[in-house]
Amino acid sequence: MKLALNTMKTFGLSLVLASAFITQPVLANGPIGEHVNHLKANLKDYSDDVEWMIAKVDALVTEYEKNGAKAVKSDDLIEYWESVKFHSAIETNYVPVYASIWQSIYGIKMAIDDKKPASEVRQHQQALDAALWQGLGAVKLAADFQQKGLLKAVKATASENMTQSATIDEIKHKLDRVVAKYAERLSDEATQIVHDTYLHLFEGVEGTLIEKDAKLVEVLEKDFNVTLPKAISDKKDVDQVRNVVIDMQEKLDRAKVLLEEAEKSRKDVF
Amino acid sequence: MKRRIFIQGLAALGVVGSMPLPLSRAFAASPVSPISVNDLPALEGDLTLYLGRGEGGLYENVLKSIEKKNPKLNLSIRRGPTAALGNMIVAEAKAGVKRADLFWAVDSGAIGLITDAGLAKPLPGDLESQLQPQFRYPGWAPVTGRIRTLPYNTKRLTKEQIPDSIMAIADSDLSIGWAPAYASFQSFVTAMRILEGDDKTAKWLKKVQKRSKTYAGELGVVMAVERGEVDIGFANHYYTLRLKSGKPDANLDLAFTNQDAGCLVNASGVLSLTDNPNAMNFMRYLLSAEVQSYLAREAYEIPLIQGIEQPSGLPALSAISPPKVDLTQLADLRPTLDLMRSSGVL
Repeated sequence: MKLALNTMKTFGLSLVLASAFITQPVLANGPIGEHVNHLKANLKDYSDDVEWMIAKVDALVTEYEKNGAKAVKSDDLIEYWESVKFHSAIETNYVPVYASIWQSIYGIKMAIDDKKPASEVRQHQQALDAALWQGLGAVKLAADFQQKGLLKAVKATASENMTQSATIDEIKHKLDRVVAKYAERLSDEATQIVHDTYLHLFEGVEGTLIEKDAKLVEVLEKDFNVTLPKAISDKKDVDQVRNVVIDMQEKLDRAKVLLEEAEKSRKDVF
Repeated sequence: MKRRIFIQGLAALGVVGSMPLPLSRAFAASPVSPISVNDLPALEGDLTLYLGRGEGGLYENVLKSIEKKNPKLNLSIRRGPTAALGNMIVAEAKAGVKRADLFWAVDSGAIGLITDAGLAKPLPGDLESQLQPQFRYPGWAPVTGRIRTLPYNTKRLTKEQIPDSIMAIADSDLSIGWAPAYASFQSFVTAMRILEGDDKTAKWLKKVQKRSKTYAGELGVVMAVERGEVDIGFANHYYTLRLKSGKPDANLDLAFTNQDAGCLVNASGVLSLTDNPNAMNFMRYLLSAEVQSYLAREAYEIPLIQGIEQPSGLPALSAISPPKVDLTQLADLRPTLDLMRSSGVL
C-alpha cells in the first residue's frame, strides 16, 4: 500500500544534479523523507512507483475513453502522484522534470474536466509517461553520484560557504522550482520563491555584477520584479512561464562568467 | 612566555597601555594609526563563529584570509540570516547552551537582541578606542558602516534643489523611489521614530507615499533614479557607488540630509559571547587596517576605525553629520512595521 506523503509536497529542496553537489542547503518546510539520502537502496521502490503511477493513470484514461468524464475522478491523478515516494526523490533531484510531471498531470486533468476527446488526453498521458521515465533516469544518475560521495546529504541547516558564482547556480535552481510550483498550480508559492530568490540570493550578487555590466543587472531586475511575477499573475501557460525562466537562466549564465572573473581578479585581504 | 599569551594576560588585566613599542602601538588606548594584522597575536585553538549572511561573499574572503594566516586556528562557522542567528543565540542561552564564541552580524539590530539579553562580553579598552568616538559601544564593535543617502538624477536636479532635511523631503514636489519592504529602509524608519516620534513619522510616511514609486530593493531604487523614473530615492550609499563604478557616465549623484534619520549610519557588528581569548583577538583582526581597507575597497563599506580611507566617491564621514543614534535600538522593528502597516505603506 502506498503511503500518503502529502507533506512532502511542501518542502523546498533542489539538489544540483548537473554539477553533482548542493550549492546551498535549503530549510525544509516539512519533513524530509530520509530515503532521499539513500537513493540507491530505494531505486526499486522508485521504479515500482513509476510503473504503478503509469498503470493507474492509464486505467483512469481508459475508463474516461470508454465511459466519459462522469466515470472518473480527475482529482485522483493528483492523489496518485502525491502518494508515491518517487515524488520527493524527483523533487529533490531534478526540478525541471518535476515541473513537467505536474504540467502533464494537469494537462490530463484539465482535458478530462473539459471533456476533450480521448486522443487529446492520451497526448498529455504520453508526455507524463515520458517525464516519469526521464525522472527515473535522473534519480538513477543521482543515486550513482550519491554512492560515489559526490552528492551531499539533504540537510536542514545552512553551514556551507557559497561563492557569488555558486549563488548564481542556486538562483537558477530556485527558478526551476518556480516553474515546478507554478505547474503544480501553487502560484502564490511560486511568486514567493521569486521574491525570496531576489531578496536573499540575487541581491547578494548584484552589487558586484553591476560594476561589471549595469545593463545586465537592469534587465534581470526587471525580470525578477516585473516579467516573471507578471507571467504568473497573468496565469500564462506553464510553457510561457518556463520560457521566461529559461531566458533569465541564460542571462544568469552570463552573470556567472562575470562574477567568476570578478572573483579571480579580487585582491587578497592581506 | 609566548607573545600571544603575554598579550592575552595583559589585555585581561587592562594594562596594555604600559606595553613597550611596537606592541604598545598595537594596543594603545588612542591609536594614531590603524593596527596591521602583522602586529596582532596568532590565533590558536578552537573558535566558533555565528556569521550572518550578506555582503555577497566578501566576509567569507576575510575569514579565509584570517584562517590562512592562522593555520593553528580551528574555526567553526555557522551561517544563516542575521536575525535568525541572533534569535538562536538568545534561545541557546535560555536553554543554558553556549555554542558560539563570536557573532558577526550584518546589521546592528540583531546585535541589540544579544546586548539587551546581557549576553555580550564587555569590549576591552584597546579595541573600543580604535573605533571612531561616535561608534563606541560597551558590548560590541561596529565593523563597517553604511550611510542612508538621497541618490538623485543629475539631469533632472542639482544638489541645491534637494532639501537637507529628511522631514522637508515630504513637503517637496520631488518624485521619489523607495523600497519599504527592504530591511535597511525599515531601520531608517525606526531611526526616524526614535528621533522624531511616531506621529511625525506616520505623517511623513503618508506624505511621501503619495509621490513615491515602490521598488523591491534599493539597487532597483538607484537604477530607477538613474533612468529618470524618479527624481530622488532613499537608499544605502554603496548602491550608487557601485552603479557609478560600472557606469561612470551614470546620471547619478548622492545628496545627504543633515543630522537626521536621512543620513543615519548603520553598521555591521561583532561581539564576543564567551571568555575564549581567541574571540577578542579575532575581533582585532576584523578591525585591522587590512580588513577595514579591504571592505572599504571591495564592498564600498565605511570603515569605522580611525585612520582608514573612505570608499572612493564618498565624502568623509566628518563632513556628513549623521545623527547620534544608539544603533542597538534599531533592533525592535515591530513598532516600525506596525506603523508602516497602519500608514498603508506595507
